[in-house]
Amino acid sequence: MIKIEGVRKVFNGVTVLDHIDLKVEKGEVVSILGSSGSGKSTLLRCINGLEKLDGGSISVDGFDVARPKELAEARKRSATVFQLFNLYPHMTAVQNLMLAPVEVLKVPKAKAEADARALLASVGLSERADAYPAQLSGGQRQRVGIARALAVNPSYLLLDEVTSALDPEMTAEVLRILARLADEGTTMVFVTHEVEFARTISSRVVFLEKGRLLVDLPTTEFFADDGGLANPRVRQFLSNMSKG
Amino acid sequence: MQFDLTVLLPHLGVLRDGAILTAQACALALAGSVVTGALVAMASTSASKPLRRAADIYVDIFRNVPFIVQMFFFYFGLPVLGLYIDAFTTGVVALSIAGGAFTSNVIRSGILAIDPGVIEAAQVFGLHKRTVFLKIVMPIALRTSIRPLGAVLVNLILTSSILSTITLNELTGSAKIVASDTFRPFEVYFVLLVVYAVLTWSVSLAIGALHRRLNRDIVEVVS
Repeated sequence: MIKIEGVRKVFNGVTVLDHIDLKVEKGEVVSILGSSGSGKSTLLRCINGLEKLDGGSISVDGFDVARPKELAEARKRSATVFQLFNLYPHMTAVQNLMLAPVEVLKVPKAKAEADARALLASVGLSERADAYPAQLSGGQRQRVGIARALAVNPSYLLLDEVTSALDPEMTAEVLRILARLADEGTTMVFVTHEVEFARTISSRVVFLEKGRLLVDLPTTEFFADDGGLANPRVRQFLSNMSKG
Repeated sequence: MQFDLTVLLPHLGVLRDGAILTAQACALALAGSVVTGALVAMASTSASKPLRRAADIYVDIFRNVPFIVQMFFFYFGLPVLGLYIDAFTTGVVALSIAGGAFTSNVIRSGILAIDPGVIEAAQVFGLHKRTVFLKIVMPIALRTSIRPLGAVLVNLILTSSILSTITLNELTGSAKIVASDTFRPFEVYFVLLVVYAVLTWSVSLAIGALHRRLNRDIVEVVS
């Protein structure tokens, strides 16, 4: 379980996260919605230890991310997919997938490579396994990014606006894979602008506004008139998104 | 004036030994200055302020003092403190230290040019700091800095001629001896010129090949 309790984060005097409480159990798909600057991505960066907390605590399967020794354990349990892919540019797709399993999980190289190629095949990239990131399209790069995250067998998949840098066709490519992962029971924390997609794959939807957690409801309740939509800010956000 | 290279034939052995000594000193100093430069670049981009400060001081001292003065200090100054180091070792160490000041700046800019997101990705996958540096930071920094690094290394080879002033009979030192033995400075220094040009040119070629290899994914764009 990812347990977020009373988390605060301040950048240069601006409170970006304000006493956030959130729990993600195994098997859940939790979408985090909110306008730009609401703190969604920062929350994800706090979970994987890229940002230091200014208050509260976050633990992944009981490992406190604020303690360096426990952070290493917490990081072994989650994997992040980034908005701008952040692939290692000097390595081929297959090498991108192999690095963490070999270096962190001490998987033998031959097995890591076989696993990596199988994973790339599962995202439709068996032909491109030996290509470098610069030789791939944006959608292909993000599929490598997802496969790289899956290569460490994470208990939790953290996705940070993974389709924001992609055109609609490539977005569809990536969303198809995420839908399949959700079907297979992968636990995901999904920061996104894709409201319709969030609605179809999530078990729960969380709405952030100016660093505060406004709504946290099961998906069907979130989109019900007497549920999440009863909140005027949520209603306004969703109607703006559907116009866009 | 006559130009007759055959007068050098009896002295070819001396010149060859000098060239070999230069090649050995340069090969060691190239490796030494790249390793020194990488370590100093790591210090100058680290999160620790004292480390960054130490790296700055190092670069400032060794870039702003003439190489010949640094070398005289090591070779003629340190024995006063009871530290005797032979000419070859002194030359290689002095070249590595001075070269390191220049290579560190080139490697540092290569490190600063790396997309921070790529390093963050390596961190969140739980890679150890040392692994991040060796497998991610350095290889990516070298991709962008290998060409300017090549310019520094060529300069290092040229600077190695100064080792002749601390009794090391490398290429330039041997040439001086041959010139005074034969009274044929024109031929001697003509050969010297050609040999240095070949030496630096082959390093440039190797650097070019390495650059293309490191950037093989985008080679059409950058070569």
